[in-house]
Amino acid sequence: MASYKAALDGLHRYLSHHVPLTKAEFSQLLPYIEIREFEKKVKVIDKGEIERYLNVIAWGLVRKYLPVRNREITVGLASEGHIVHSELSFHYRTPSGTVIETIEPTVFFSISYDNLQALYDHFPKAERLGRLLISDLYIRKDNRYFDQLLKSTRERFLQYVRTHPQMMQRVPQKYIASYLNIKPETFSRLKHLMRPGRR
Amino acid sequence: MLELLRQYVSDYAALTDEDFALLAAKIVVRNFDKHVKLIQPGETERYMNFVTKGLVRMYFYKGRTEVVTVLARERELISASASFLSGEPSNYFVETLEPTTLLSITRDDLEEVYRMSPRVERVGRLMTTQFVLVKEEWEQEYMRLDTRERFIRFVERDPELIQRVPQKYLASYLNMKPETFSRLKHLLKKRPVNGR
Repeated sequence: MASYKAALDGLHRYLSHHVPLTKAEFSQLLPYIEIREFEKKVKVIDKGEIERYLNVIAWGLVRKYLPVRNREITVGLASEGHIVHSELSFHYRTPSGTVIETIEPTVFFSISYDNLQALYDHFPKAERLGRLLISDLYIRKDNRYFDQLLKSTRERFLQYVRTHPQMMQRVPQKYIASYLNIKPETFSRLKHLMRPGRR
Repeated sequence: MLELLRQYVSDYAALTDEDFALLAAKIVVRNFDKHVKLIQPGETERYMNFVTKGLVRMYFYKGRTEVVTVLARERELISASASFLSGEPSNYFVETLEPTTLLSITRDDLEEVYRMSPRVERVGRLMTTQFVLVKEEWEQEYMRLDTRERFIRFVERDPELIQRVPQKYLASYLNMKPETFSRLKHLLKKRPVNGR
């Protein structure tokens, strides 16, 4: 069973991967952080709302999607230890175009926009931490963009299965298919590649 | 030229004269003719560049088709930024479209200035955030808007580029066929664009 202690230790390790933080330094960050809990299938932020928080997932699973006409395009699937927020809305303070919805019961470590600015002003290492986290976000975004455009359907499927085996169990198939930009029928067909003994 | 850069970074965070001097000491001026490739796939991007004169595009090949992802002109940054930030080889070409002057700084030098000045590091954080947001916005518009909507949005936001950038690159940037782009140009006549 997940515990807050373990999740906080995970957060400490995650941040220290970018900028080493002592236990004392990490505990200075905690007053800025809120813990938010959600049931499954709850919209954490809806289209048109202004995103107040940047969230790191303590445990649980969410998807982020873009409603386009009568479709929902899944643009993100995030589990423990990942950052999720509606970034354009959060930074520009404008209504969100994307929706973030829980798939499982989920707990976030969240920092509000105002607290984040205060943290940057009062905590000297935050500036570097923020820069490196954002830089990392950009690099991953660019890699995903390339994979979508240049890799074949089959390659995208296999890469995702290899790098996210647990997500295949946890995420409804239609969301993964949408995230990988693969038709649901094609996705079902590709699942035979997952059987043992096949590559 | 440095004054242009100073104005630009001041929009992100207030720098003291000392802060800016640290940055300016590391800047090199680079001049290029038009149609010069600054970086190609497989090479690692060494520079973050600020355009003081000229026009630059970033693109890659999808099969045999060029896909233009960035058009940068005066007072804008250009770099194979994912490669610059990660230190991994670039997936993109960066090429000048006009004779171009860049103010450039290497990754190592920039890191050194960050260590000396938290305020310059703040500028770095905010610019990197801006990269993420521009990319996010581009991707969302790509998914949400149809061809005609993308064209109109672009013309409203960037009327000047229509004059300066060869049509085939603009079409590629907007993810449409050159023929479609030509056809949509009649919309320009119906919607007078400010001052042009």
